Amino acid sequence: MEEVDKILIHALRQVGTEVGEDVDRLNQFTSELIVEAVVRCIRVIDPALGEGLPTSLPPGMSARFRVGMSLAQACQKTYSNIRILYHTTSLLLFLAVSWVPLNCRLPLHCETQVSSHSFHVRPLSSPHCTNGQKYLKEVKDYQRDFLLPVTAQLPSQTSMVSSILEQHTADLSSAQEWDTEWKSQGLLSRLTPQEYRSRKLTRLRKRIEEQLRSAAAPSPESVFGVPRSASELSDLLHTFRGSTPSDLILTKGSHFTHTQKFTFTQVSASGRVDGALQNGFSANCALLPQEAAAVPSPVHTGRQSEGDAQLRQQEELAALQQQFQQLCSDVDLMVVFDELKQREMENTKNEEKTQVKKKTIDLLPDADNNLQKLQSQVEASANRVVNLASQWEKHRAPLIEEHRRLKEICSTKDLESSTKLSEINSLHDKICAATAEAKKKEESYKQLVTELESLPQDVSRSAYTQRILEIVGNIKKQKEEITKILSDTKELQKEINSLTGKLDRTFAVTDELVFKDAKKDESVRKSYKYLAALHENCNQLIQTIEDTGTILREIRDLEEQIETENCNKTVTNLERIMDDYKAIRQENSALAAKVREG
Amino acid sequence: EWNMATTETQLMLSVGLIEKDVNGDTLWVWCYPSVSAELRQLLLRKCCLTQDGRDFHTFVFGQFSRTWYYITTLEVQEPTALNKVTHFSIAVTAKDFNPEKYAALSRILCRMYVKHGSPVKMMEAYITVLTKGVCQNDENGLFLIKDYDVRKAYLAGSIKDVVSQFGMETIILYTALILKKRIVVHHPRIEALLEFTRVLPALAWHRKDWSVLHPYVHLTAAELDDLKKCPGYIAGFVDPEVSNRLELFDVFVSLPDSVITVSQGAKDAMAMGKLHKDVAQVIVQSAEDAERSDSQVIKDISIKTKEILTNLCALADACEDSKLTLEVLKQHHFPPATENFLFHLAAAEQLLRI
Repeated sequence: MEEVDKILIHALRQVGTEVGEDVDRLNQFTSELIVEAVVRCIRVIDPALGEGLPTSLPPGMSARFRVGMSLAQACQKTYSNIRILYHTTSLLLFLAVSWVPLNCRLPLHCETQVSSHSFHVRPLSSPHCTNGQKYLKEVKDYQRDFLLPVTAQLPSQTSMVSSILEQHTADLSSAQEWDTEWKSQGLLSRLTPQEYRSRKLTRLRKRIEEQLRSAAAPSPESVFGVPRSASELSDLLHTFRGSTPSDLILTKGSHFTHTQKFTFTQVSASGRVDGALQNGFSANCALLPQEAAAVPSPVHTGRQSEGDAQLRQQEELAALQQQFQQLCSDVDLMVVFDELKQREMENTKNEEKTQVKKKTIDLLPDADNNLQKLQSQVEASANRVVNLASQWEKHRAPLIEEHRRLKEICSTKDLESSTKLSEINSLHDKICAATAEAKKKEESYKQLVTELESLPQDVSRSAYTQRILEIVGNIKKQKEEITKILSDTKELQKEINSLTGKLDRTFAVTDELVFKDAKKDESVRKSYKYLAALHENCNQLIQTIEDTGTILREIRDLEEQIETENCNKTVTNLERIMDDYKAIRQENSALAAKVREG
Repeated sequence: EWNMATTETQLMLSVGLIEKDVNGDTLWVWCYPSVSAELRQLLLRKCCLTQDGRDFHTFVFGQFSRTWYYITTLEVQEPTALNKVTHFSIAVTAKDFNPEKYAALSRILCRMYVKHGSPVKMMEAYITVLTKGVCQNDENGLFLIKDYDVRKAYLAGSIKDVVSQFGMETIILYTALILKKRIVVHHPRIEALLEFTRVLPALAWHRKDWSVLHPYVHLTAAELDDLKKCPGYIAGFVDPEVSNRLELFDVFVSLPDSVITVSQGAKDAMAMGKLHKDVAQVIVQSAEDAERSDSQVIKDISIKTKEILTNLCALADACEDSKLTLEVLKQHHFPPATENFLFHLAAAEQLLRI
């Protein structure tokens, strides 16, 4: 990690970030330094993006937040760009870097380091082994007898490894690409691999054609100068379609179009050579040299000398003149042929007409009868045709019905298979997720096991669990006892209540009874007094007992409080505070005395 | 009259049936007497049932390889004798241009097919029209071929609409037609395209040639090859891509934008002068007159055209074998645009000698 930090800091210094000399670890970077480093890096990667970013953080918090957000966005953008770049060049970079033994350098340093062996690649040919492809005997023979082994195919040894690597990576990457493409699009298209490939080929061809065609549309400003590329492209387009480039010169057309082409000034939009021809024979000769100069000359004119160019131009001129003569004669011929064809067509038509008229004339003498006969014949053949049609219908209708029924079955099967496919996909996903989870769980299990092993072994877990279980049992028992006591208490209370009630009622009744008799008899009066006293005393007794009970409870509560208070150590704290207070007072007085003195 | 009937009915070539079923397939299910594989492909392409079911076009027509085709499409409503069919089209091919006639005929055939569920009854009606020129129509009346005169078809479009859309620029279309140039019209909706293009040949009324009209063309190799066989044409495309195909046209009309463009290669031949201005004035004035009907406007234009042609013929007659040459034309010292135009017109009308 230190090495990486050093490399990074060095790179940042190169970019212009002012990293202090003593800073050599990334975790020593302050936030300001980080911001400056990031901004400078972005400026190097994408100047346009980095222009708007400040290298130092503004003071205000909201401004800082804004800057931070813009930085984050810029980073994301460059990261995605770099990622694409990285993927396409990662392989090459690796290969290039691997030529530099042992050292791992940043891309900044790559140019200086790739000195020992440059990465040259040469094309190799090796026999391919594709399944199911039939091999021509000649190819097999060539591969067996003449094709050199790969090591001998190259001019220099230095390029051997790189060429082999290149070929293998190309094969590998194409196989991988085909795999991913087949898995994603190929399976969905439900075609065989060959069908899929051929469809892709036609699709691509079409696209190329379209692109070329749109590129072949020339600029409207040119007069003679239809650019060479355009006519080349239209040639290419024609080869796509199978027609020959000579069609450019002589297209099919009527008598009129040919006269048109050869008499009018016309710069056609598709780069035909005839576009350079002007009306009037006289003008032609004067123009041809010019046209020859403007007419596309081969690609490598630039490299040849003046004399050669002139010579070739003259040759071209002669050739074109010849061509022109030829074309004129061809045109005349074509004109004649056209007329001939037209006349022949007219002839046949007229012949047919005369035949019909002749027949009608023959039938004229007995016109009505014949007319009737003809009409009946026509009706008869019409009926026959209709009859045939109905017979055909008997065959056709069930066939169409069958076709539709089978199509329906096919589409339902399609539906089923696509649902199954989606099920399979979801199952696949679930499997992946489950394996990932299983891996995670395994990892965490391993971690926990190691943690467990590292924990102190002295106290056994079982002792703890036993104690816990004991305590739980005890608590349960206590709970039971408490509930029992509670229920007993309730019962007692109920009894007391009922007894008190009974007592009151009995006393009330007795009281009344005795009082009634008390008026008459002296002994009854006395007994009434004793009854009242008894009642009173008993009440007092009960009251006293109750009070005793309450006081006992209070005592218990107070005792509990005392215990808790004792734990608070309030007394000791208070004593300490008192001591401190005394000490401070003494000090205060001492200081005051000192002050007074001094 | 009998003669007319037979020559008329010999124009009908075939009738075909296309069905779209509950599976979403569009199939060519029946035809009489026979339709070539190429034409079948074409008709399936033109039929709106194969076009992703986005738009439904009741009636379209067009021309391919000198054959006119007329396709009527119907959605099947319950109750019906047809099983598992959601839509169907009837494609009639013929040698002549007459949309109204064939639209009426195919409507009758459609109704028959829906009612009976079998093409046999439909074929009976077709044969009756073929042999007798008449058949029963839906409203217990009669469909008569002779009610649909070809002139009516030619004049059925509205030239006034064309002029009201393009005003003085209509002269470009006129010039292109007169000089037998290639006009390509684009509109995304086929009905608008058909309505517009069918009336354009009327600008060259003296020729009464609707064979230059190809109102519904797709950018396929076969159709474009067929188109290129004609030196001059009016071709209608719904595909906006056609504007990039500069090799297909001398004049490009973008109907939705009401813009007419002359391609670079044709600018010389289409140069306009005072003569064109005169003709343009005639066209616009006649079309703007509310009292004049469409056929009267066409007549006015054709009168002016005849004037020009008569003058040209007079010029040509002055030369040997009644063919004009450039030198003779130059001697008259016309203004250059007019001279250019007359030269090209003479070529188009086969009055020119090189």
